Amino acid sequence: MFDTALTANDFLFLAKGAGMTIFVTVIAVFFGTVLGIIFGVIRYQIGPVWAAPITFVLDIFRSIPLLIQLVLAYAFLGTVLRLGLSGLTVACIVLTLYTSAYCAEIVRGGIEAVPLTLRRASRSLGMTWGQDMRNIVMPLATRVALPSWIGLALGVMKDSALVYVVQVTELLKSTQILITRLQEPLLLLMICGAFYFLISFPVARFGGYLEKRWSND
Amino acid sequence: MKTSVLTLAAVAATALTGPAFADKLDDIISSGTLRCAVVLDFPPMGSRDADNNPQGFDVDYCNDLAAALGVTAEVVETTFPERIPALVSGQVDVAVASTSDTLERAKTVGFTIPYYAFENAVTANEGVEMSTWEDLKGKTVGATAGTYEAIWLEGKVKEWGEGEFRPYQNQADVFLALSQGQLDATVSTVEVAEANVDSGNFPGIKIVDKAPMVPDYVALIALREDQGLINYMNLFINQQVRTGRYAELYAKWVGEGEPASLVIPGVYR
Repeated sequence: MFDTALTANDFLFLAKGAGMTIFVTVIAVFFGTVLGIIFGVIRYQIGPVWAAPITFVLDIFRSIPLLIQLVLAYAFLGTVLRLGLSGLTVACIVLTLYTSAYCAEIVRGGIEAVPLTLRRASRSLGMTWGQDMRNIVMPLATRVALPSWIGLALGVMKDSALVYVVQVTELLKSTQILITRLQEPLLLLMICGAFYFLISFPVARFGGYLEKRWSND
Repeated sequence: MKTSVLTLAAVAATALTGPAFADKLDDIISSGTLRCAVVLDFPPMGSRDADNNPQGFDVDYCNDLAAALGVTAEVVETTFPERIPALVSGQVDVAVASTSDTLERAKTVGFTIPYYAFENAVTANEGVEMSTWEDLKGKTVGATAGTYEAIWLEGKVKEWGEGEFRPYQNQADVFLALSQGQLDATVSTVEVAEANVDSGNFPGIKIVDKAPMVPDYVALIALREDQGLINYMNLFINQQVRTGRYAELYAKWVGEGEPASLVIPGVYR
């Protein structure tokens, strides 16, 4: 089992793939969260009827498999609009919108979890809507939403494996390239799994730590 | 108001007619990149080197085509079933992927003239006296059961009425049997034969002759309507053979000997 043709060079190749996975995930989670907060707040604020168009669009991103979204977006942006975007750009755009669709739901759920009476009390004290949102809703909603958000971030990290269809060589694709060349699938998949674990474990632990710390005050 | 409508109409007209005039060939040249679909788990046509960069006959062919167009090549890895979808969905401009020019596929995509042909070779044990493929007559021969070459060999043995045919489970077993002298000769594609002789895993075997089977002609593919591009690539393939680059790539990736003739006897094109 330890008799392998894997070289240091190949490890570097896998590490590069892991770097790409992290890059795509960080971009998607960051911008997806920003957009998700905007969409979530808007949806909550204007009520379900007026928010129906936003809800509909976000539901599209949530219900169509990511793989299909990527292929269709790449074909549409490239062949129909002829924008000449790189696969990486398309991957980041699609993954960001996909993340924002889930994040909007998490944000809405978080805001709804803040008791309405508490918000009325804050407004009665003379706080503006912005002050109420920043000082009352945000701290409470963040605590409620954090576990789901960590779950979303980890999910997006693993879903990012699908961006290989738009020619982005991330961790899983690098592993497949090595499997084709070296014919050692079990060893390589174990290494790939270990890489994924190394990336997600700290994130999960950090989430757990925050949860614990915030629950005390 | 009138001017803005006119401007709008002009913009709309440019938007509509723009793509129609610039054909794919212009697009490739102006974009500066040629995106080729290449199958990279099919040595010696496509594989990856120790640094995991694409290499092989098809990769070099794509680079040559890009150089001829004065653009840079971008190799896009695809699998065999993904070649045509990648082309149709606009992920690549052409496929340099050992695609057999079947009439069925030609309904979907446009083929160039053949740029390579997979021929079959007779490989024999060194202890057996053989100089041409016809010496197979009366010998103990074998091949991987169910393959094109096995069916051909078995048919020949039956036709001659002498000798023996033995089917095997896989290619490695055939060459092992050949190396150990259980078989006198076998038939396989030239590429497989060359690779097995070169590998040194099967001592005591040699390539004797090419088998007179119809070669598997493979061509470059582009979208069916991109006639300008296909026209260019036809001339490019012609030039590759004329300048000796075809033989050079054959020697580099496949092995010694004459590369397969790309001329089909008795017919135009």
